[in-house]
Amino acid sequence: MSKLRNRLLVAPLLAVLGLVALSGPASASGESVGGCMAELFTEAIEEAHGDVAHAAHDVAVQSALEKCFEAPSPIIPEVNEIIWGGSAFLILFVIMVKKGFPAVKGAMDARADKIRDDLDAAEQAKTDAQSVKTDYEAQLADAKAESSRIINEARVTADQLKADLAVQAEASIAEMRERAAADVESSRQQAIADLRAEVAGIALGAAERVVQSSLNADVHGSLIDAYIDEVAGNNG
Amino acid sequence: MANPQVAGYAEALFAVAAAEGNLAVVEDELFGFAQAIRSNDELRSTLADGNVPAGRRLQVVEDLLSGQATATTSALVSLVVGAGRAADLPAIVDAFIERSAASRNKAVATVRSAVDLSDDQRQRLAEAIKTSSGKDVEIKVVIDPTVLGGVITEIGDDIIDGSVRRRLNQLRESFR
Repeated sequence: MSKLRNRLLVAPLLAVLGLVALSGPASASGESVGGCMAELFTEAIEEAHGDVAHAAHDVAVQSALEKCFEAPSPIIPEVNEIIWGGSAFLILFVIMVKKGFPAVKGAMDARADKIRDDLDAAEQAKTDAQSVKTDYEAQLADAKAESSRIINEARVTADQLKADLAVQAEASIAEMRERAAADVESSRQQAIADLRAEVAGIALGAAERVVQSSLNADVHGSLIDAYIDEVAGNNG
Repeated sequence: MANPQVAGYAEALFAVAAAEGNLAVVEDELFGFAQAIRSNDELRSTLADGNVPAGRRLQVVEDLLSGQATATTSALVSLVVGAGRAADLPAIVDAFIERSAASRNKAVATVRSAVDLSDDQRQRLAEAIKTSSGKDVEIKVVIDPTVLGGVITEIGDDIIDGSVRRRLNQLRESFR
């Protein structure tokens, strides 16, 4: 349908162009005012059988000559122009129908095909882009969901770790306190024991010196005799 | 029970001393030498040091016992030291004395005292031990100043401690 409409639009345009190109002005084709008057006057002379004066005084001739001063019709062309214009139109029309239209049609078809292909490609690209966009949006949504999940997990883990660390810290503090208390108590007991041992050592050292100073031969003999008596009495 | 080497050397020493006919003298001299080794770390380490040449160790023995002990005792000590058994000499002597006492159907009572016991005290102590334990013993006295006073008697694994040192230790324990 569009091809036919294009053809109909092109044909009158070409016809008008043919008329303009092939039709000449009246003067160029012998239809000037002088020519008109000369032709009419010549014909009148011939009708008057060579009587120039009669022809010149003929009112009809004069009226006809006056009409040569009138401008040609702006609408109705001269016959020869119609012939030439029609011929040119036909020739051009035939040429256009045989050659121009197919070429134009082919070019238009190719152009239309190209545009259609481009449109299809654009549509396909748009579809692909839409698909990619959809995929990206889905991936983005998945990534957002995953990131949210990871963040939530990390938050839960951090909270749990925080709680665990708090518990461990409290336990460690309690253990350190107990250990410190135990250390203090141990140190106190050790100090008491050391002091007691020191006192005992001093006392025993003094006692030992007293004993040694008092152990003479008689005392040794008495101790040995007492030991012998003790062994002898321990008979069971 | 002494190890086989100690028992073997003790038996050899006993056989030699018995054969020489001076068992009691050798017994006392070996006992004294063993106590000297026990109480003197330097002497013990010197005689037991494998890096010291055997001739040097035997010379030390000869220097210590020359004129102080019988030739039998000196020869027996040299035998043990020369064989590299100086570290075991006190145990060998103990086993030898026990073996010698056993040959007389007696046990050995090692008595530690700050001072020596008189013969009367030795006799009465042997009788007292026999009375209390039923064992006929021979008294071997070790002079040990750390005892301070009183006596410590060892008969085999039995110990009868009547020393001043023990009483001081008991007093020390009571302070703890």
